[in-house]
Amino acid sequence: MKNIIIIGGGTGGTMCANALLKRINPKTRKDWQITVIDKSEYHAFQPDYLHVAFNGMKPDKLFKKERSLLFAKIKFLHDTVTKVDLKSQTVATEISGILPYDYIVIAPGSMPNYDMIPGLRESNLDFHTSPQDAEKIYETLKTSIGGRFVVGVAGVPYKCPPSPNESAFLLHDFLKKRKMLDNSSIIFVTPYPKFYTAPAISEITEKVAKAKNIEIVTSFNLDHVDVQGKKLVSMEGNEIKFDYLFMVPPHKAPDFIKGEEFTDKDGWIKVDKTSLKIEGYENAFAIGDVTNAPTAKSGMTAHLEAEVVTSTIADQINNMSDKEYMFTGRTHCPFEVGDQKAVFVIGTYDRPAISVNPSFENYMLKKIMGKIYWSTLKGSFTDIFKIYFGEDYMKVVKKQ
Amino acid sequence: MVKINVDSKGLSCPGPLTEFVKAYRTASNGDEIELTATDPAAAPDMKSWCEATGNVFEGVKEENNTYIILIKVTAKKF
Ligand SMILES: Cc1cc2nc3c(=O)[nH]c(=O)nc-3n(C[C@H](O)[C@H](O)[C@H](O)COP(=O)(O)OP(=O)(O)OC[C@H]3O[C@@H](n4cnc5c(N)ncnc54)[C@H](O)[C@@H]3O)c2cc1C
Repeated sequence: MKNIIIIGGGTGGTMCANALLKRINPKTRKDWQITVIDKSEYHAFQPDYLHVAFNGMKPDKLFKKERSLLFAKIKFLHDTVTKVDLKSQTVATEISGILPYDYIVIAPGSMPNYDMIPGLRESNLDFHTSPQDAEKIYETLKTSIGGRFVVGVAGVPYKCPPSPNESAFLLHDFLKKRKMLDNSSIIFVTPYPKFYTAPAISEITEKVAKAKNIEIVTSFNLDHVDVQGKKLVSMEGNEIKFDYLFMVPPHKAPDFIKGEEFTDKDGWIKVDKTSLKIEGYENAFAIGDVTNAPTAKSGMTAHLEAEVVTSTIADQINNMSDKEYMFTGRTHCPFEVGDQKAVFVIGTYDRPAISVNPSFENYMLKKIMGKIYWSTLKGSFTDIFKIYFGEDYMKVVKKQ
Repeated sequence: MVKINVDSKGLSCPGPLTEFVKAYRTASNGDEIELTATDPAAAPDMKSWCEATGNVFEGVKEENNTYIILIKVTAKKF
């Protein structure tokens, strides 16, 4: 029996496992065991953490057991990976010990890096770390009588690029509904020189923010948070006072790959940005938030990358290696601007994000993507996605 | 004074800025950061960033669609 190990049963890992099982030729399938390893028994739908924080959505709605999201022939190990050795083709875990593999896909996501900014952990409530943390924001908002709400980007990089901006708009919706706008102010803070990093999207969304009296502070390089004084202090000595702080913390790669030869200076896995092969290895891949591919850390990216990687691995296993599958860096990030309107951030490695007007249709599209998420993991809408994205996410070229 | 080279060639927005912001975090006053970028938005973005933060935009050179942007770190208090 040969082994394919997938580390992480999140968006990328789950998609990968299910798609691989479908793509491996039924005659050879019996020779291959696909194993997904995740430290958590539950899979969370992360985009709705925003709605837990600002709309009071209940966190228990966002979880399903990972086992139920994988086809029966896929083995699920509820275990924590402690080391990956690409040279000896083994994975070490806390419970199962050393596991050999023939192919590996590493998809353990990213995690908040609170240690980077002194005082942030003590002062901040965030909607990125877990739904329980997001719920604390809603509990705080429910009892608030208003004040200075500071949101935004505490440090880089972070996952889901539009999410800090979305938090400003969803907070605005909340304060409006509760008639708290008169005694509140929303201050959006970012180290970037624009409201949103992609110019075409920034131009449109900044106008919406200004119309809603959301104050925008750009080029603010947060050094530390003065916990007692309740203020952000920048590296240049500027200060922003807050009553409530709901910022997105900077993110880092999971600790178990720290210092490995296949990671870059910041800890992300070095991949070829089109094949998603880990540099120097033909049978090792990484997808999702954990890579150094210069594209958005987002679920949709992990999804599209899973398509590319599973096409490559399945072809090799099926002895059909005459094609190369190349990821284009395509993004498709929904960006809510409040009042049930949204834009999408759509770009590739070579094409900056295009301008999209806020609309109810885009908002509904985001909602639909949320509704079909669970069945998408098992590949239910693969053909629709292929038609929708066309060649814009994956180039298929004949090998010379 | 240290010269810090940040190579963001091939990265499109926000790649160059993200790489720059990471380097700035560890830089000290007097250091120069040389950001190499292929994204044409990088130079105007860095110019506005310098104006807002009080650091010095020393200039930009273009060679074969690659921009070499020089920033002098002068405004850091921490
Ligand atoms: C508030 C918020 C809003 C978002 N909105 C959107 C959106 O609208 N659209 C979008 O596309 N994306 C969105 N995202 C981002 C998206 O959720 C992530 O980018 C995506 O889940 C990344 O997929 P992944 O497979 O790389 O990692 P994840 O889905 O995070 O999965 C990683 C898995 O690896 C496991 N793991 C980690 N370490 C180990 C270990 N040592 N051993 C075993 N298992 C391990 C974890 O338990 C986890 O299950 C949002 C995220 C947040 C927080």
